[in-house]
Amino acid sequence: MSDAHAHQDWRAWFAENGARLRLIARQWTRSEADADDVIQEAFVRFWKHQRHLPGDPNALVVTSIRRAALDLLRKTDRRALREQSVYADSEMTTWFEPEEDPRKQALLDTLPTLPAEQREVVVLKIWGELTFEQIGAQLAISPNTAASRWRYAMEALRKQLTAKTYE
Amino acid sequence: MRWKPSVNNLPLKLMNDKNDFADDDLVAALRDLRPRPVPAPVIAALAQELDAPAASRGNIIAWFTGVTTAAAMVVVAFHLASPSPDTPDFQLVRAEQGPTNLELLQPVRLDDGSFARPLRMHWENTTHWEDRRTQAHFINYRPVEQVALIPLETY
Repeated sequence: MSDAHAHQDWRAWFAENGARLRLIARQWTRSEADADDVIQEAFVRFWKHQRHLPGDPNALVVTSIRRAALDLLRKTDRRALREQSVYADSEMTTWFEPEEDPRKQALLDTLPTLPAEQREVVVLKIWGELTFEQIGAQLAISPNTAASRWRYAMEALRKQLTAKTYE
Repeated sequence: MRWKPSVNNLPLKLMNDKNDFADDDLVAALRDLRPRPVPAPVIAALAQELDAPAASRGNIIAWFTGVTTAAAMVVVAFHLASPSPDTPDFQLVRAEQGPTNLELLQPVRLDDGSFARPLRMHWENTTHWEDRRTQAHFINYRPVEQVALIPLETY
């Protein structure tokens, strides 16, 4: 990811990073519409007020996304939460562009089968480009726990992909 | 041996390669997945928020100027109208600013590690109106205090 400190043009920076940030927002929201609201609020706050702050701008923007997502979750009632939790899982396949390569498509189909807490770590590690320490800080867990979830996720992905081969 | 991607061998190779490369290959494969792009309406909304500050500030200034002009016209019309016997007719008698009190405080260390000496300034503004008809006085007394920082050079 290019350094947000150096960028003056938000469009160029967002064109490069917007899709992966939206994927991260999607981890903590119940629908694509919610993710779009979150990414809008979080990015505006980051670009206007936070991108010049000291520290890793990547971690800052992820923090901004998480805060906006948690704020949105608090605003909605529990009933909506129950109703949409099922819907959220069914939307998982729309997080990525469809793949023609069967290997990639198999991986894409396997990701939704991961437990949410492991999937969250995978997304923050791969598309958030965060270290385990930073992931731990985001999720209020220890870096060891984050690393442990990552290992379980990798193992689970491997097993699922293997099983798909034999089907 | 590092896993070489081919159409049908990814899962089997991943299963068999119980070494660091397997994770690397899996990570590389994950990185190849493309998250869906941000929809155009979101980008349009961002543009409205991030491109618009100058324009909206201009609108606010224009709006504020209009309101100020209207208010000034109301005040002028109010002054031009002759006061009725019951309304007070205050005239400005004096408006003055008292001497400024300066107080130098102990130097402090700022967050960036540099040193500065706080300076407290204090003065009083007084405005005095009088209604000669009723001999009523209206005095507006406003103490003002400001604190400034004088940077200190340290060697």
